[in-house]
Amino acid sequence: MTWPAVELDPIQRVEVLAAALPGTVVHRSEFDQDLATFWSWISDLERSVPAFDSDVSSLQILSIEGANLRIRARGPWWMAFAPIRFDVRLEEGFCWMTSRLYVVGMGAVDHDGRTIFAHCEGVHLAGPSWLRRVLRPVFWLSRFRHHRHVRSDLAGMRRALANG
Amino acid sequence: MERLLGELMPYLGRICGAIALDRGDDALQDTMMAILTHIGDLREPAAVRGWARRIAVREAVRHAKGDRSEATDPAAFELDVAAMDFATDTDVRAVLAGLPVEARTVLVLRHLEGLTEVETAALLSIKVGTVKSRTSRARSTFRARWTS
Repeated sequence: MTWPAVELDPIQRVEVLAAALPGTVVHRSEFDQDLATFWSWISDLERSVPAFDSDVSSLQILSIEGANLRIRARGPWWMAFAPIRFDVRLEEGFCWMTSRLYVVGMGAVDHDGRTIFAHCEGVHLAGPSWLRRVLRPVFWLSRFRHHRHVRSDLAGMRRALANG
Repeated sequence: MERLLGELMPYLGRICGAIALDRGDDALQDTMMAILTHIGDLREPAAVRGWARRIAVREAVRHAKGDRSEATDPAAFELDVAAMDFATDTDVRAVLAGLPVEARTVLVLRHLEGLTEVETAALLSIKVGTVKSRTSRARSTFRARWTS
């Protein structure tokens, strides 16, 4: 006897995680590419992230252990002295990257041969609710910057995919 | 946070799926949002599983009751046998769908979760006698439906 069970798809996972982090934003977008093509490109993080994110000049995978990766991202020349390390969970259709303060999430599902993609970025802070309440205005203000940045990332993805 | 989501999702997905059925994914999404939003307030991290289960049951019942075709009044706890889909009589989901949400919830907590009557009563904020009567009726209907 098997009891019915449900699970969250990659986009729902990204949205749930983002909802718990007030300093993050999520944008959904639809891409012409099928899921396999789209995800095979985006999950090649060393190649795809510097291609679509103007704040990342290079990305290096430091270690891989199953679906768990450690990566190092370098910013543009004026920030090259301070690379950021991320712990990454990379699965089919789902990617969640966390550094000490910054988080990036990506989720993708098939939609009639095209791809629906959710992209999340922002600051995160684990801790008691009183601290999160105190910092909520700061997080809220930072969202304007993240909205701009995520829109820029999505446009960068379209350009990179169009250029092959 | 992502790890917590990954660890809890299969467990809570069974509870939400069995109680809320077609609305299970919405219930699971709201459950996970509530858990991740309030996890920092949990005083005893070791109690996370029981705490998460309580939230999942609450959200699953809430979503299941959002379906107006469900019997939601415990006083009117009568099984609509005619509404059951007898063409899929080996399907647990179809059997569960023929039960009111109160019966599904008790069955899930007593048989899937293995809670005692007292624990089930405490989790649902109802009397132990009510748990007993609901369990008895749900079991007999489930058994009859399952073996028909």
